[in-house]
Amino acid sequence: MIYPYFITYMAAGLILAGGVFAWALKNGQFKDQQRARYLPLEESAKAGPPSDLSRIRKTELGVLAGLAVAGLGASGAAIVFSLLQNRP
Amino acid sequence: MPTPPFEGKGKRPADEIPEPGRYATARGFCLTSAFWMIVAASAGLLGATELIAPDLPGSLAWLSFGRIRPVHINLVLFGFVTPGLLGAAFYYVPRLLRTELFSERLGRLTVLAWNGALVAIVVSLCMGYTQGREYAEPVWPIDVLVVGAFGLIFFNLALTVKNREEPLLYVSIWYVLAAVILTAVTYALGNVIWRPDSGALSGIPDAILLWFYGHNVFGLLLTPLSAGVAYYVIPRACRAPLYSHTLSLLGFWSLLVIYTHIGTHHLLQVPVPTWLKVIAVTDSVAMVIPVMAFLINIWYTARGRLGEIHADIGAKFVFTGTVMYFFVSIQGSMMSLPQVQRVTHFNNWVVGHAHVGVLGFAGMIAIGGLYAVLPKISGRPLFSRFLADLQYWLILIGVTGFTVVLTVAGLIQGNAWLNGETVYRVLGEIHMYYIVRAGLGLMVFSAALIGMYNMARTLFPRKGGAP
Ligand code: HEM
Ligand code: HEM
Repeated sequence: MIYPYFITYMAAGLILAGGVFAWALKNGQFKDQQRARYLPLEESAKAGPPSDLSRIRKTELGVLAGLAVAGLGASGAAIVFSLLQNRP
Repeated sequence: MPTPPFEGKGKRPADEIPEPGRYATARGFCLTSAFWMIVAASAGLLGATELIAPDLPGSLAWLSFGRIRPVHINLVLFGFVTPGLLGAAFYYVPRLLRTELFSERLGRLTVLAWNGALVAIVVSLCMGYTQGREYAEPVWPIDVLVVGAFGLIFFNLALTVKNREEPLLYVSIWYVLAAVILTAVTYALGNVIWRPDSGALSGIPDAILLWFYGHNVFGLLLTPLSAGVAYYVIPRACRAPLYSHTLSLLGFWSLLVIYTHIGTHHLLQVPVPTWLKVIAVTDSVAMVIPVMAFLINIWYTARGRLGEIHADIGAKFVFTGTVMYFFVSIQGSMMSLPQVQRVTHFNNWVVGHAHVGVLGFAGMIAIGGLYAVLPKISGRPLFSRFLADLQYWLILIGVTGFTVVLTVAGLIQGNAWLNGETVYRVLGEIHMYYIVRAGLGLMVFSAALIGMYNMARTLFPRKGGAP
């Protein structure tokens, strides 16, 4: 019982891939590889606006800093606690 | 001498179309990812706390470790990482093809169905409805919903490809299409969808089938989606062409051939047929080919341009993810060797590997992809670079710390197992590592909150506020 399932399973992936590969070859997807390298750069010139560093309201900054400090503090406390509690 | 970029007809140069529904699908998946990262991390944190204090949930069965663990895992995979990577893909696929997404309306419907499936996963698993197979716990109706959602995504993207103005398919397109269709197929097969009651075969064949699927979640879903994002984000951030597109295609095709059948490396200590183990171990080592083809390509593209990467928060996350990919893959190839696995199997070592892979590699790249596309899909700068940097460091410290403590705990457990020590003695020895792990988990949880806030403020600015 084991073989039919797994051989089908593995074969399905390979056959699917083989078919698509044949299409790609016929469609010229492996030609013009030099141009393909530039495709993601297409509209870089019009790159989005630079990210903003400031403009966080004071209270928001306070709350978020508090959150971060709480996270870091809890982690630190947990480490110190575990080191102290687990001394042999 | 490289040819200049294609001056396509670009039937609708996307920058010039201001209609409100644009990028709705990408936005939807971005928000999905940021939101579910919070829920997923809190489930992880709860699970970690229960490993320290097993009595914590008391008689609340729906909060017990056995239910919270699968909630955590399903949510990190299908709630946080996959939607994050898809959010970026729904932006870059139309851009790279110089066309519009086939249907934003269909995309919105997919986002809805996807979130419906996630809610159903949480509710059903907490209520104790499970098929009890790792990574395939959800019950049949949810399986159908998930396969349907992947089918819709494939349909939408495939028709976008069909309508393209750019004849050449950039490597990212190959990766995302393969990931989506292969996952639709392997999810259905691995969840034995034709047996709604059990969702399983019986005996050892079921374990083999499950792990073919299980490993494909990392290898044929998260890895190709992450590679697709990295291949898009890094050249753009560096303002340099990809080092080699041919090499990237070599990596893609070799990944397809090698990764599809290495799942049995999860079952090396199980009586499965030896030929399957041999294939799994050999190909796990051969994974070095697609891994290095990808990494060499990305790192050579970025060579001498680390300043640009540092300056771009999206690329910073993505690049860090590629470094993690190096570590997780080398570690994975080693863990596939039976001699190594004698020590590392069945303990926290593997959980460490899992977090470097899913959080350090795929999760980092997902967040990087979100930050890379957010300014584009919102038409506004990121709300706060400072918060994004803070999130970066919290996650980086969190995941590195996870790796260290879980690896140490795993080695203690592995050696104890080999020495025949009793389990209750070992539990005491690793208790301290569990505490440190929970502390580190709090950092990752905080990072998830910060990420959500930053994204929400970018996408939904206050009326009358600064742009
Ligand atoms: C060359 C690449 C890789 C190889 C050869 C590899 C190998 C392995 C092996 C042998 C195991 C089983 C360990 C055991 O049970 O003893 C494993 C587990 C795992 N791997 Fe990888 N790995 C690789 C990359 C990755 C990546 C990139 C990810 C994430 C995207 C990942 C995620 C996981 C997870 C989550 C598990 C835990 C599965 C469980 O629940 O038992 N791996 N890997
Ligand atoms: C949000 C990003 C995260 C991702 C992508 C992630 C991923 C994973 C994965 C793939 C597993 C399965 C491991 C295996 O079966 O080998 C896992 C298990 C687990 N994770 Fe996470 N995780 C994340 C965050 C967290 C956080 C913040 C915590 C809190 C400490 C945490 C605690 C746990 C625990 C306790 C387990 C179960 C381990 C066991 O069964 O012993 N995770 N996680």
